Amino acid sequence: MFRFLKGRALGAGALIGSAVLALSACSGGGGGGAAEPAATFDPDEKVTLTMTFWGNDIRAGLYEEVIAAFNEEYPNITVNSSFLGFPEYWEKRQTEAAGGGLPDVMAMDMNYLRQYSQNGLLLDLEPYLGNIIDTEPLSEEIVGTGVVDGQTTGIPTSTNAWGMYTNPKLLEQVGVEDFQGGDWEDYQDWMKEVTDAAAAAGVQLWGGTDYTGRIQSFEIQQRANGQDLFTEDGEPNFTEEDLAEYWESGSEMREGITVPQQRLEEVYPLSGFDTAIAASELTWDNFGSGYLGNLGAEYTELGLVEPPVTEEGAKDLYLKASMLHSISAETEHPEAAATLVNFLINSPRSGEIFGSNRGIPASETALEAAELDPISQQIADYEASIEDRLGEAPPVPVVGYGTLEEKFRQIGQELGFGTITVDEAVDQFFNEMDVVLNQ
Amino acid sequence: MSTTTTTAVADAGAGRPSPRRSADSNRPGLRARTVRESVTGYTFLIPWLIGFFGLTLGPMIYSLYLSFTRYNLFSDPRWTGLDNYVRMFTEDPQFMQSAQITLIYVLVGTPIKLAAALGVAMLLNYRDRGSAFFRSAFYAPSLIGASVSVAIVWRAMFANDGPVDNGLSLFGINLGGWVGNVALVLPMMILLAVWQFGAPMVIFLAGLKQVPKELYEAAEMDGAGAFRRFRAVTIPMLSPVIFFNLLLELIGAFQVFASAYIISNGSGGPAGMTNFITVYLYKRGFADVQMGYAAAMAWVLLIVVAIIAAILFRTQRSWVHYAGDSR
Repeated sequence: MFRFLKGRALGAGALIGSAVLALSACSGGGGGGAAEPAATFDPDEKVTLTMTFWGNDIRAGLYEEVIAAFNEEYPNITVNSSFLGFPEYWEKRQTEAAGGGLPDVMAMDMNYLRQYSQNGLLLDLEPYLGNIIDTEPLSEEIVGTGVVDGQTTGIPTSTNAWGMYTNPKLLEQVGVEDFQGGDWEDYQDWMKEVTDAAAAAGVQLWGGTDYTGRIQSFEIQQRANGQDLFTEDGEPNFTEEDLAEYWESGSEMREGITVPQQRLEEVYPLSGFDTAIAASELTWDNFGSGYLGNLGAEYTELGLVEPPVTEEGAKDLYLKASMLHSISAETEHPEAAATLVNFLINSPRSGEIFGSNRGIPASETALEAAELDPISQQIADYEASIEDRLGEAPPVPVVGYGTLEEKFRQIGQELGFGTITVDEAVDQFFNEMDVVLNQ
Repeated sequence: MSTTTTTAVADAGAGRPSPRRSADSNRPGLRARTVRESVTGYTFLIPWLIGFFGLTLGPMIYSLYLSFTRYNLFSDPRWTGLDNYVRMFTEDPQFMQSAQITLIYVLVGTPIKLAAALGVAMLLNYRDRGSAFFRSAFYAPSLIGASVSVAIVWRAMFANDGPVDNGLSLFGINLGGWVGNVALVLPMMILLAVWQFGAPMVIFLAGLKQVPKELYEAAEMDGAGAFRRFRAVTIPMLSPVIFFNLLLELIGAFQVFASAYIISNGSGGPAGMTNFITVYLYKRGFADVQMGYAAAMAWVLLIVVAIIAAILFRTQRSWVHYAGDSR
């Protein structure tokens, strides 16, 4: 009965079968996209806009509320919104960008802004600034972060800055004072103190996580010496020696001061900080409410302090747009889309509804209307307190910066596991950068 | 992905014209009718042919072209010759790790899965009573196995303080969560694959039913024990089925994607231990938009699978016995 299995038929079948995977591996994703009626904008005419953002169902509920408020004012503009988690969101946008059919209004990330702008996928908002899109409540620097090659292609909804969270409850438990500021070495010493005290008390706690696994800490160290990671022209502005020195500086703390990599893998996708095994962590300041939520009800407050100082008086920190809104270059209703963008960013209603969900509102009118919970207020105060250290934002990240950031993080993990040396790590990173920059 | 494969295998078999026709066409009076018949036959094949050329062969050739280029989806592909392939084997430790764990997954997981399938099939073949129920019960996991929900359940089961962790600690084994453990996550993935042994099991069962009872009786009379009967009767009689299952499962295992993607939250972690080739090339293609590089990886994967299939076909002569064969 199994004669039919013999010979060429099955051979061909097997080959085709395996061939299909070569293909199907390259398809997937895709589909969907914008489908709007062909019409020119007229305030009285019914218009349908598509809109996308990344986030979870909590944020989706907020967007729904804001859109309902928008429709009270503009009943003729129907907004069809959809959302996905961050990585999937970009996988879907990438295929849409390649095939045409980006949504009319979309949430944009700094890491993708340059790529989308330079490929002509985003509408230049210049004609709408100051009329449909109110720029009065937005600072010049804020509007400036959405400018690529002289074109304004994104408006920030909110901002964040690099900061350092500490956990006062855990510190009290092991009897160590909160970090009092200082340089990177002071910070390492402080972490060692915490780890040692925890070990003596028999508590599963470490002073922090290895900050050299994050490109942002490298960035602010470089900026302290007056250098952004990349130049205006997208050329790397640091050498292999700089990077080696940076990773080398973490070698001591990886040996028993910071949380072991194995433990971090176990708690992934959470971090050591929000699983209460690290007493401090350097990260974006808008992570605060997420951290509090993950830590659970026993934890009611967090410390938020400046990152360690590299160079006294240097302007190493900067305000980054945590999200922007952009409009597709192919939209058939640019005025309606701009009206929606303005409402999502500037309207008091949006500030009221979003609060700090997307970061601290970039627009003053939105910020004034926002009722900030204690942690959001703390973040807003923090961003005000670091004003002396805030410098000009770096150029819009190079195309593929997201890939580099991820590679950096992954190399940090391997350094944590001890599976590669610092020299190999530097090699790998520069190889990756070479590919990405010549993509 | 796996569905596409099996269909393609079946279609390729069905698509072959009947050999009877060539004999008929030698008779002159029948030629016109034969031509008409072929036209009709091919007309019925058109939907499949369109699918094959438009959706399989065309994109495949394009993907082969892309594998020699740099292509970021936004600008036109740029010819770079063998750069992608060179990079893969000399400059990308992530690829090497990915290839390694994929091979381990395939080469360890598949035999275990087939052994489990054969073992259960033999148990079911032993007694008839209630076998329909058990057959369905054992087959059920492979029906739902590839789905998203099972991967999510699996992740929860093997998490720190999950049912598996707690169950093992009853016996004094404290492994903690498997999901985040670099050493245990691959065994966990293999277990998930093994658990879905239903499809090969059903095929084994059908094969076992075909083995003539007389052979066992004769062997028993010659004084062969249970193991000897298994080795000398069951295995050879079943070898075509084993071959078929082995081929299908190997190809299927190379394509593992959904479970790994979901269990690792799309990261391929911890430390790249679930970053199977398909997951890695998906990330390179769609997250990093290095489509050319992803296409090159897909082709390397295809070639490796083809080589393994070719080796299997080569060795088939020495261990696969077809009924009625004089060999």
